[in-house]
Amino acid sequence: MAVELGTSDLRDTLATRRLVGLWRLASGFRRLLLLATLGVGVASFARASSYLLVGRFVDVVLLREDLRRQLPWVAAGFIGLAFVQGGLTYASGRLAARSAEGITKRLREYLFDHLQRLSFAYHAQARTGELVQRSTSDVDAIRRFFADQAINAGRIVLMFLVNLAVLIQLDAQLGLLSVVVVPITVSMSYLFFRRISKAYEDYQEQEAVLSAALQENLAGVRVVKAFARQEFERSKFDAENWEKFRRGRRLLIMHSLHWPISDILSGLQMLFGLTIGALMVMEGRISIGTYLAYSGLIIWIIWPIRNLGRLVVEMSSGLGSYGRVAEIIREEREPLDEGSYRPSRPPQGELVFKGIGFAYPDGGGEVLEDIDLHVLPGQVIALLGPTGSGKTSLVNLLPRFYDYTSGSLLLDGVELKAYPRRYLRRHVGIVEQEPFLFSRTIRENIAYGIGREVSPAELETAARAAAIHDVILTFPAGYDTLVGERGVTLSGGQKQRVAIARTLLMDPRILILDDSTSSVDTETEALIRTALERLMQGRTSFIIAHRVQSLMIADLILVLQGGRIVQRGSHAELVGEDGLYRQIHAAQTRIEVELERELAGV
Amino acid sequence: MSDFGFEEEEFGTSFSGKTFRRMLGQTRPHWRRLVGFLLTIALVSALDSGFTYIGKQIVDQGILANDRAALRDWVRLYGGLIFIQAVGVFTFIFLAGVLGERIRYDLRRTLFSHLQQLSLSYFDRTPVGWIISRVTSDTDRVAELLTWGLLDISWGIMNTTTAVIFMLIINWRMALIVLAAVPLIVIAAILFQKRILAEFRNLRKINSKMTGTLAESIAGVRVTKALGREQQNLLEFGDLTGAMYRSSFRAAWLSALFLPVVQLISAFAVGSVAWYGGLQFQLGGMTLGGIQAFVSYITFMLWPIQEMARVFAEMQHAVASAERVFSLMDSLPEIVDRPGALDPGTILGDIVFEHVDFWYDEQSPVLKDFNLHVRRGETIALVGPTGAGKSTIVNLLARFYEPKAGTIRIGDHDYTDLSLKAIHSRLGMVLQTPHLFSGSILANIRYGQLDATQEQVERAARIASAHDFIMEMKEGYATEVGEGGGLLSVGQKQLISLARAVLADPEVFIMDEATSSVDTLTEVRIQHGIEALMEGRTSFIIAHRLSTIKRADRIVLIQNGRIAELGSHAELLKARGHYYRLYTQQFRRQLDAEVETLGTPSPAPA
Repeated sequence: MAVELGTSDLRDTLATRRLVGLWRLASGFRRLLLLATLGVGVASFARASSYLLVGRFVDVVLLREDLRRQLPWVAAGFIGLAFVQGGLTYASGRLAARSAEGITKRLREYLFDHLQRLSFAYHAQARTGELVQRSTSDVDAIRRFFADQAINAGRIVLMFLVNLAVLIQLDAQLGLLSVVVVPITVSMSYLFFRRISKAYEDYQEQEAVLSAALQENLAGVRVVKAFARQEFERSKFDAENWEKFRRGRRLLIMHSLHWPISDILSGLQMLFGLTIGALMVMEGRISIGTYLAYSGLIIWIIWPIRNLGRLVVEMSSGLGSYGRVAEIIREEREPLDEGSYRPSRPPQGELVFKGIGFAYPDGGGEVLEDIDLHVLPGQVIALLGPTGSGKTSLVNLLPRFYDYTSGSLLLDGVELKAYPRRYLRRHVGIVEQEPFLFSRTIRENIAYGIGREVSPAELETAARAAAIHDVILTFPAGYDTLVGERGVTLSGGQKQRVAIARTLLMDPRILILDDSTSSVDTETEALIRTALERLMQGRTSFIIAHRVQSLMIADLILVLQGGRIVQRGSHAELVGEDGLYRQIHAAQTRIEVELERELAGV
Repeated sequence: MSDFGFEEEEFGTSFSGKTFRRMLGQTRPHWRRLVGFLLTIALVSALDSGFTYIGKQIVDQGILANDRAALRDWVRLYGGLIFIQAVGVFTFIFLAGVLGERIRYDLRRTLFSHLQQLSLSYFDRTPVGWIISRVTSDTDRVAELLTWGLLDISWGIMNTTTAVIFMLIINWRMALIVLAAVPLIVIAAILFQKRILAEFRNLRKINSKMTGTLAESIAGVRVTKALGREQQNLLEFGDLTGAMYRSSFRAAWLSALFLPVVQLISAFAVGSVAWYGGLQFQLGGMTLGGIQAFVSYITFMLWPIQEMARVFAEMQHAVASAERVFSLMDSLPEIVDRPGALDPGTILGDIVFEHVDFWYDEQSPVLKDFNLHVRRGETIALVGPTGAGKSTIVNLLARFYEPKAGTIRIGDHDYTDLSLKAIHSRLGMVLQTPHLFSGSILANIRYGQLDATQEQVERAARIASAHDFIMEMKEGYATEVGEGGGLLSVGQKQLISLARAVLADPEVFIMDEATSSVDTLTEVRIQHGIEALMEGRTSFIIAHRLSTIKRADRIVLIQNGRIAELGSHAELLKARGHYYRLYTQQFRRQLDAEVETLGTPSPAPA
């Protein structure tokens, strides 16, 4: 199944009515689905025919002494019809499976890709757990809808209609009388199932509560033990546990009422039908053979209707899932290739900020205001300031993770918004505070950003420059060691260096880094420092500075506060000014003096 | 979080009778319900077969005999039985269902209770997701089998048996013909279900893998976008969805094949019945109604046989689940009270580590010949590089683990001679990542002493410097903290856990200081809180804050599982050794952290 088929089409399938949406979702497979349903219908017809055969068998064969010739044919007839019925059922089952699986595969791939391409703003507010749930359980519910429920519903309706039609052929009056109770059963089922759904929801809700309680207890096992609160925890859990039992019981009462009631209705209907039929035979209005055929057929009319009610409830979960998946599909993707300026070579790295301002799309005020800056290629810019001063937001503008909302930003003389995002991300490298690595080999992690085959030599060069090559060689499988739970767990410092190697391999012209190394011991710190310095050589670099050492090597230091640049200059210049920078420097000096004093005192 | 690293147990294809019997044992306390629903099932299925028999009588004695009175009598009987059956259906659904819910309740309760007893080592090596599966979905499956599974099997057996009995009554020779078909169906059923089950197992594996990949891709979406990796990822994902497609499709068409095969076999039976029955009818050995009944019975038996095959397959699933549930139930806690464990009423006194060795994994020892004598009331700061053994010392002291060699003495006792309760009820712990339970702030602080009054709680909060920020919140002590304390900031959670420890009024205080940065105001409060707890108590602190380290009576520098340096702050500084280096670096590092917080309001000097 070609991937291209899915990626742009599914947004066109969205519709406000969920059934319509589901129908549209099945595009390309509708013929198969219809064939499957048709197959099932013809299979029902085959079965109905075998009852007709019973009728004929009795009327014609038994009662008319024509036996010796006809009997083998009748026997063969049963078997032949069973073959037809069986073959069609199987074929339609296969077709249904093919459609359902095909639709699901396409949907899964589409969602995966769609989620990848949604904007940063979307992912910043979305919860991973919920997205995963929608991409897995909800998609699975849609699969069940197409694989089982839709076909079953079709089969039930067809079975009902076909058998009814055959019945009416046998005897119209009898046929119609046989379905008198059907509308009553259907509406009763519907009413019941509304209440059962509510009870079921309550039950599920309590299940989630119980699960959360268990999870919390497990997560806090140390606290429980440390305070010796096992008994307390037991009774806390017991309360929720018992509540689940209670709600389960309530759900059961409704279930146990519904079945017998619909059984009574169906049973009485059958009895009614059989009685009328019997009387009609006795009055000579229909033959005994017809009656026998009828008594076989009627079951296949009444039973489906009973099951339809249950099916409607099952389908409602499929509809609900579709709604949730549609919500995701509805979101706008981030256009990667939109842009009027498409250079064929990497950028020089000259940036001009003129009156740049930025506010997040969901409101919350201006995060950046009036930023003016001129950066020459290869310069190192250090950004300093308290939490929330806008440092991260500023650097996020460069790869167009977010777009500036006012002012102009020129890269090599051209407005940044004119560059396609794909190009920018290829040439802007980022090393984060807590780098994310994938559960793949180290080799694959380092080469993650490169779209082509990477030679081991290139890999090694990058790893050496990032001061991680030697460490990698100490792992059991070297570069082929798996990262993560299945393989080796890397320390914070090691992760950073792998991320640095990854960025080095990309060879970006512009660099953004966060130099925090908070949870790392000093030996590693020095190594990371060296690696970062190598990284910055010859590249226009923006450092979100936590370490005072970074400030020393910067060409330009920007002090941000409240989204504005409040001070700028080199270290020497800023120390001379009265402001935040001097406060920091003063604090540093003060602490150094304190330290000296303390050390001298001992 | 994926559980790939942990070995998921594979269940075998053989049927374990022992586990099955133990499963049945779960129903013993509720035997009345079990017996009740089995009897009701018997009634209902007898009635089902009865209906078909009455149908035969209607034909033979009513229609063909042209006897309206007889017809009326049979119809009345049929009608009456419909109502009786409905009552039966209500009863058995209710009984079976409630039995199921009760079994679930019982299993969950037992497992949870048992979990509280297990030692920390179990939780350190077992993923949380695995445990939750055991307690929720595995218990569900066991309950399902013991109720609906048992019901389906009993119903199937009874239906088939009564149908066969009726058939034998009507014409035993024809019944034998039909019976010949049954073993064929059963064999087909077993063969099919085995293959389908194997396919489902494969499907489950692929599904896990796909879910894991999906979850990781969503978690790492920033990196994917930053590196422009979308297309590549999609291609790789396509491999997984392709595998999923193939496996799922195979499982589906195998299932789709099953029913037609069964129907075909029974069609042969019907054909034979028609042929033989026809001959018999001619000879007067069979009535019309009889033939009709036979045909009905054959179709009638189809459904139960299918259901039994399905249940048989699910039974293996359920037995596997039961095995997992029982293995959890049977796992023994590693740290237990020794026989004759005593509670001396207090654990005040010197704490001594004598020649303690410890490892989590025998290949990599963590502590080697560790010796430390702590005097009563002393504050010890544990410092050193990551992985040196500091957390292990604390774990040992709290008796979450026990030494592999050597002893730990509290007071004059070897602490393994004391009961766990004796130690834990007098120990106060504040951990690195503070864990709160969902509920109010008040309830969380009260965890330290369950029957504390509001005043006592507030007093503790004041001492821990938590009271002020709690009163700043809109609902004060009644404020909900959210799951795991998620509604509060890290600093606030720390303060509450300090208050909790204060309320517990422990004799020994253990703390693992957090390394995360908080705003200056909270930082000061936390420092005050820690000092309050350290006051006059024997304290062990894995320290990161300079103020904590300096305030300790003695500092223990741990390296490679041994004490590298030991002494007061001044002594160690003078020695110009590891501690000196560590201290100066930490000092400078704290400066750098201050850079982050500059610009935020600092508290007025105390």
